[in-house]
Amino acid sequence: MSSRPVIELDNFQIDLGGRPILKRLTCALHGRCIGLLGPNGAGKSTLINALLGFHAPSFGTARLFGRDIRAEINVLRHRIGYMPESDSFIAEMTGVQFVRYMAELAGLPARQALERAHEAFFYVGLGEARYRRVGTYSLGMKQMAKLAQAIAHGPRLLFLDEPTNGLDPPGRNRMLRLIREIRDTEGMHIVLSSHLLRDVEECCDEVFILKDGRVAGQTNLEAERAANRKFLELEVSGQASSLPEAFQSLGCECALFGNTRLKLVLPDAVEIRELYAIAAQRGTQIRKMTYRRDSLEDIFLTAMEANGGEAGSLHRAGSPRSNGGRNGRL
Amino acid sequence: MAVYKRAYKPYTGSLTPTWSRFLILPRYAFRTVFRSKILTGYFVLCFVPFIVSLAIIYLYNNPIARTLIGMREDQNFPFSIGGRFFYYLLRIQAGMAFLLNIWVGPTLVSPDLVNNALPLYLSRPFSRTEYVIGKMSVLFMLLGGITLIPDLLLYGIQATLAGGGWFMSHLDLAGAIVASSLIWIALMSLLSLAMSAWVKWRIAASGLLFGFFVVTAGFGAIFNEVVRTYWGKVLNIDYVFSVIWQDLFNVSTVTGISRRWVGTFREQDVPVGIAWLVLAALCSAALFMLNKRLRAREVVRG
Amino acid sequence: MSTQTAIMQPPITAFAGRPESELILFENVSKFYGDVLGVNRVSLQIAPGVTSLVGPNGAGKTTLMNLMTGLIWPTRGRIRVLGSSPSDPEKFFRMVGYCTQFDSFARGVTGYEFIYDTLRLHGMSAADARRRTIDTLERVNMTEASRRKVAGYSKGMRQRIRLGQALAHHPRVLVLDEPLNGLDPMARAECMALFQSLGREGLHVILSSHILHEVDRISDQVVFIQSGYVVAEGNVHGVRDEVTDQPVQILVRSPEPNRLASKLFTQDHVTEAKITDDRRGVLVRTRDSNRFYDLLNRMVVEEGLEVEAVTPADDDVNSVYQYLIGSEGASI
Repeated sequence: MSSRPVIELDNFQIDLGGRPILKRLTCALHGRCIGLLGPNGAGKSTLINALLGFHAPSFGTARLFGRDIRAEINVLRHRIGYMPESDSFIAEMTGVQFVRYMAELAGLPARQALERAHEAFFYVGLGEARYRRVGTYSLGMKQMAKLAQAIAHGPRLLFLDEPTNGLDPPGRNRMLRLIREIRDTEGMHIVLSSHLLRDVEECCDEVFILKDGRVAGQTNLEAERAANRKFLELEVSGQASSLPEAFQSLGCECALFGNTRLKLVLPDAVEIRELYAIAAQRGTQIRKMTYRRDSLEDIFLTAMEANGGEAGSLHRAGSPRSNGGRNGRL
Repeated sequence: MAVYKRAYKPYTGSLTPTWSRFLILPRYAFRTVFRSKILTGYFVLCFVPFIVSLAIIYLYNNPIARTLIGMREDQNFPFSIGGRFFYYLLRIQAGMAFLLNIWVGPTLVSPDLVNNALPLYLSRPFSRTEYVIGKMSVLFMLLGGITLIPDLLLYGIQATLAGGGWFMSHLDLAGAIVASSLIWIALMSLLSLAMSAWVKWRIAASGLLFGFFVVTAGFGAIFNEVVRTYWGKVLNIDYVFSVIWQDLFNVSTVTGISRRWVGTFREQDVPVGIAWLVLAALCSAALFMLNKRLRAREVVRG
Repeated sequence: MSTQTAIMQPPITAFAGRPESELILFENVSKFYGDVLGVNRVSLQIAPGVTSLVGPNGAGKTTLMNLMTGLIWPTRGRIRVLGSSPSDPEKFFRMVGYCTQFDSFARGVTGYEFIYDTLRLHGMSAADARRRTIDTLERVNMTEASRRKVAGYSKGMRQRIRLGQALAHHPRVLVLDEPLNGLDPMARAECMALFQSLGREGLHVILSSHILHEVDRISDQVVFIQSGYVVAEGNVHGVRDEVTDQPVQILVRSPEPNRLASKLFTQDHVTEAKITDDRRGVLVRTRDSNRFYDLLNRMVVEEGLEVEAVTPADDDVNSVYQYLIGSEGASI
């Protein structure tokens, strides 16, 4: 986390087509990698576009690194990289030409632009392909080329909109690894907008949630993770049906899923050893024990529900928090 | 042994001056444009009128050279080098440059729009105005290179060869050459950029551009016949230019090429002021189209 | 779960007892587009429930789906979907619903019309079609937006309306190509729940996805495809117990890794014990996971070993994918 806010919004309002899309947003974000979440239509893309200077605000101010985007947008744009969600390329240029062109437009002298273009390609893992026309690239390669053009001019703030879109698992792993590496570079900040909560969880240390153009939540994930040591997921061999009761008698909340999986909340007083002891007593082995990895999902759902009722978008019976209901969410 | 790890590094070096950034566009565009051999060949062909005119001017001012081609010393070309000469030269050059414009114009903007590259431009310290100026400069350089520059050169050569007398009596000719070329290039480039921004497919944009001139001319002719007037000629852009140029070059009405194209015609000419208005309207329309299409994000309604 | 051996023989699957009318059958199916390989010698038997197709882009997932839905015909081999063949379109196309990855629509059509027209094409009467359309729109929660043009929808809304169109005629086989693409987290969760419930109802839900942890959560069966070949298929969980030629990998996070490791080395079933880079865990390879867990559980209870987490390092789709297909992909 940096001490000075990366993004500062003060009653920031954007109207498009006569309708208010972002409604008086106010916040201060400090994270190295800020996750931008929200349901479809919440205004995530509009916010990114506005911070890039594509839309003029109808009210309020927004600051990046302390600079007002309206007054100093050109200074800021030198330091910003953008990886759009949709396809964005010039088909007739080769990879190197394209990235070099974009780097020059960001202000780099021609020779440095060429050097950095090649460095960017090496970094994202496109080898010989950089000499082929971008129009011939596969989807994964286009995504990597998009990342390359976003980083070639060496920005300090990266806007990544659904960066793992359409990537197969190896590609996704690679992209996330690159994002984490960039995040860990001194002085770099990333804004990551994604529908995949796992991606955000793996990379981000702060999360900003929008709903209906308003702030629905802002969470420091690092702090959350420290607090989450108490939520466990267990998988056992043999019959687990008698375990929830036994665990509950220790003082834990516990729920059973299927035949072999349990989720429980471990209070500070209870030790893991005691869980193992109970399992051994009942002749079952504990085969898997992990801390909850979908805490972000909970944070997200809470934010949705707190801001206007029905969180789900498909009809379903029952509330999300009922015991053992809807995929047995705790 | 030292092992070097490649990591991301922000850029801390010097930057190019902001005002010069629009020139990046022509630099890259010319690389693409001149890769095509046919196009390069045609571009060279567009200099033929210049070469021919150069020869004529030289011969006109050089009695001894004239004898070499079989004329007598006191015999000369049946015309003089003046406004009319340069007017016709420009007409021919513009005709050839017209095709060049239709060919090259759409290759400038369409590729950027087809795959949504504009947000990448605009997320950099680069405005839409710089973008348009950059793209237009490509066409200005190309088209100006075969109309304005050679013509000014010829003017200079003629003035040198013909002496001070000719120069003093043809002072405003230089201005006419510059003004005529520039407004023609400006309008043509705006139209082709606008068309290529409106219709994303490159070949369709070319076809549309060509068709635009033909259809408007034809429409104008039909209008004239039906309503029995001459006002339809304002729809014929080629005619509109001829009116303006004739005014600038101070050339009296001639049986221009355009009239033969149109077929039936009415004797009276459209007033020059109206012609200028038509050009202004077309410019505005083109700028309007560009403004609408060149956006970082389309706002989808409903 | 069965894995293809190096000579690429079709697997011997254990679907004994299910009649052909309940399965989707591929018998030695190959599909070539001219010289280009789509899929080669694929044999599959897909039972009711949720089956996921997993593999790199261009591996043949879409080809398989197109074959399954009768949009293309195989170059060789036989395909039967619940007993019908694509050459019998009347029967075949009623049973199958397909939601492709491509996002194209007739111009100017509204959400309501999109579904209604499809139902009418299936031969429903106007009144039935109207009712069914409203039903379907409710199911995918697109009722309010249904009167607006599809062109104005967001990506997620378009995904949902296409899902609706695939579901509307109540098919028995639902084929979905990356159905969660563009959906926000809540819609994702809801769709996954929907697919699971459809699978439980007895439908064949075939879907392809790159998001492996979601595949893990909802699939009954998984099919791994690479370069046009099926490299593995079956139930993912418990796979490692069956494959005994490769030792099982388990990661134990503990503040006392050395203690655990030294005890492990005395065990004959342990082939490798590696202390992790951050010195807070041990990565164990063992040929007998049962005995390992016994030992571990005993150490925690009786000897007071402190353990923070225990995870099998290769029992989910992600790990199997990494084994079979690769971890980060090579530099292109």
